[in-house]
Amino acid sequence: MTEPDLDPAVDYPLSVNRRDLLVTPTGKPLDAITMPAVMAGDVDAADLRISPETLRLQAQISEKSGRPALGANLRRAAEMTALSDERVLQIYNALRPNASSRAELEAIADELSSTYHAELLSALVREAAEVYERRDILATSE
Amino acid sequence: MTAVAPQGSPLDGVRHSLRTEVLENRPVNLDGFVEEWPEVGMVAMDSPFDPAPSVRVQDGVIVEMDGVARADFDFIDQFIADHAIDIETTEDSMALPAVEIARMLVDPNTSRSEVIAVTKGLTPAKLLEVAKTMNIVEIMMGMQKMRARRTPANQAHCTSARDNPVQVVCEAAEASIRGFSEVETTLGVVRYAPLVAMALQIGSQVGEGVALTQCALEEATELELGMRGITAYAETISVYGTEPVFVDGDDTPWSKAFLAAAYASRGIKMRFTSGTGSEVQMGNAQGKSMLYLEIRCILVTKGAGVQGLQNGSISCIGVPGAVPAGIRAVAAENMIASAVDLECASGNDQSFSHSPMRRTARLMPQMMPGTDFVCSGYSATPNYDNMFAGSNVDSDDFDDFNTIQRDLQIDGGLRHVKEDDILAVRTRAAKALQAVFDYLDLPSISDAEIDAAVYANGSADLLPRDVLEDLKGAQQVMDRGITGLDLVKALESTGFSDVAANLLAVLRQRVSGDLLQTSAIMTPALEPLSAVNDANDYQGPSTGYRPSGARWEEMKKLRHVTSASNPEMEVE
Repeated sequence: MTEPDLDPAVDYPLSVNRRDLLVTPTGKPLDAITMPAVMAGDVDAADLRISPETLRLQAQISEKSGRPALGANLRRAAEMTALSDERVLQIYNALRPNASSRAELEAIADELSSTYHAELLSALVREAAEVYERRDILATSE
Repeated sequence: MTAVAPQGSPLDGVRHSLRTEVLENRPVNLDGFVEEWPEVGMVAMDSPFDPAPSVRVQDGVIVEMDGVARADFDFIDQFIADHAIDIETTEDSMALPAVEIARMLVDPNTSRSEVIAVTKGLTPAKLLEVAKTMNIVEIMMGMQKMRARRTPANQAHCTSARDNPVQVVCEAAEASIRGFSEVETTLGVVRYAPLVAMALQIGSQVGEGVALTQCALEEATELELGMRGITAYAETISVYGTEPVFVDGDDTPWSKAFLAAAYASRGIKMRFTSGTGSEVQMGNAQGKSMLYLEIRCILVTKGAGVQGLQNGSISCIGVPGAVPAGIRAVAAENMIASAVDLECASGNDQSFSHSPMRRTARLMPQMMPGTDFVCSGYSATPNYDNMFAGSNVDSDDFDDFNTIQRDLQIDGGLRHVKEDDILAVRTRAAKALQAVFDYLDLPSISDAEIDAAVYANGSADLLPRDVLEDLKGAQQVMDRGITGLDLVKALESTGFSDVAANLLAVLRQRVSGDLLQTSAIMTPALEPLSAVNDANDYQGPSTGYRPSGARWEEMKKLRHVTSASNPEMEVE
């Protein structure tokens, strides 16, 4: 599916103007998230998450509104939807100063790239590994 | 603040005039003031050790910034150079004299986007140089134009000295009806967080309009509550302006950037937090001025791709507040955040002065021009209940604040609400929480507790709760994996369908991601309003946001206003 070409002035907010484009990560249209559906048990927490496709639409809106850095964050976020909450917190902790060796950070970068196809996140972690080494904030090896 | 009797005090045994005695006893003399001491960073915005602006680009990479060669960059320099500064335009922007850029910020003939086309290429030292040319009124002019969202708003603190969820649900409901767009809580006893965060989330959805909610906790716990849908946004993601202090905070710009993507990946709005004085307070300012270090935080935020920043000294306000021009520097840090196109939640959120005059003066540079959130936040409780160590303005000040809005026709986001309406939402909120606790088999809330909380001013007026039972209940919320969706079901099942519908509308926003755009809030019609669909279009007199129409009529109402048709009566 090719990504629709959005006009921030016309299409934003997507929840008002482009509901047709909004689908949960579980494949439900936004309009299926209704109170009767919630009460019938047809909606669970996974349905109230954002999909990578929607994050890329919002990235497009940010970029077209002159906010490339915000757009880049939303594109990293789109990749991160594939990671479990637990793995997200583990990698965050691994990125803290003096928490990981260079090899450990590079292994995470490899995992992000090979397991999740998260090239942008992988690049962020790889960049951190280089800077941490230069600034001497890698874990001291035993 | 001082342990010894100051020189000239009535206690020094010297004869003083009665005038001096009066002045000695003024509240302002309880505040702390110190001389500038640049070597340790006790200087607002003009340290002899601040670097001179410079930039050099080679092969598409910044190889020198503010006098430091790339090989010597600390991690903040490198993050800013590689992520926050526009490589294409930086050399041209840096070539402009600082005073010319400052004039663009003030000049009504220059649009916001024309300013941003320049600021996106500026280094920290250059932004500092720009701010140094501006007096407080010019800084306010800059803020008026550069605020990202056209419509100003406000944020409240809803906390309880006893971490009492019944108080917090009432305060959140009252804050929401008074007009706050966001409500934030934190805890005395951290283990209480799940119950208090639930109370905040439910209370903020009662009545017309909704406020987005947040619970300030350590990073990982805050993220977990957000992922579960018990809170709606996050703010307590701190960044710092020197490398050693950043490391002391157990983070780096890369770990924070990763966290930023984590929030967005779950559809949760987030902003960073920083402020002048934090590096001095944490003992490692490297001799730089407070504003220079804060500008580095602003650019780290921008480089991480975060939509906004809470700044304006925040919990360190006593530090810039103690030095000359400190409050001018605080106003400048808000303006610079806005000038680089970030949402700005602009402080005014910590006890700052014993002097009511000084408290008000500290508020005006944000309240007069309007910011995305004038306070971050305004204490919706009495000072003693504020678990963020007090705020610059609190519930005692509601009528004063509303009167200042009306006097000056400036929009601080609040409105006067009749007592009947306030009691009604407080009652409904407390009953909703009672029903939800009952439905989820959490420690019960009695009718007597509700009655006390609805009519209370603060936690001293409440009935005590069984804290041990509450803490067990709070643990159960975490162990049983209760989510925002469970709260919706509980509310709907117990006859609070309107509250349930509002909460579901907020949770649905995660699917759309509309609140991830810059400066997003929810309108009373439950639609997202951000810098994308409400871009600030100020460009001089008669343009931009001005309170008018229904909003201005609402702002004219106060507790006591004499009727024009019948001077014996007050307007309803």
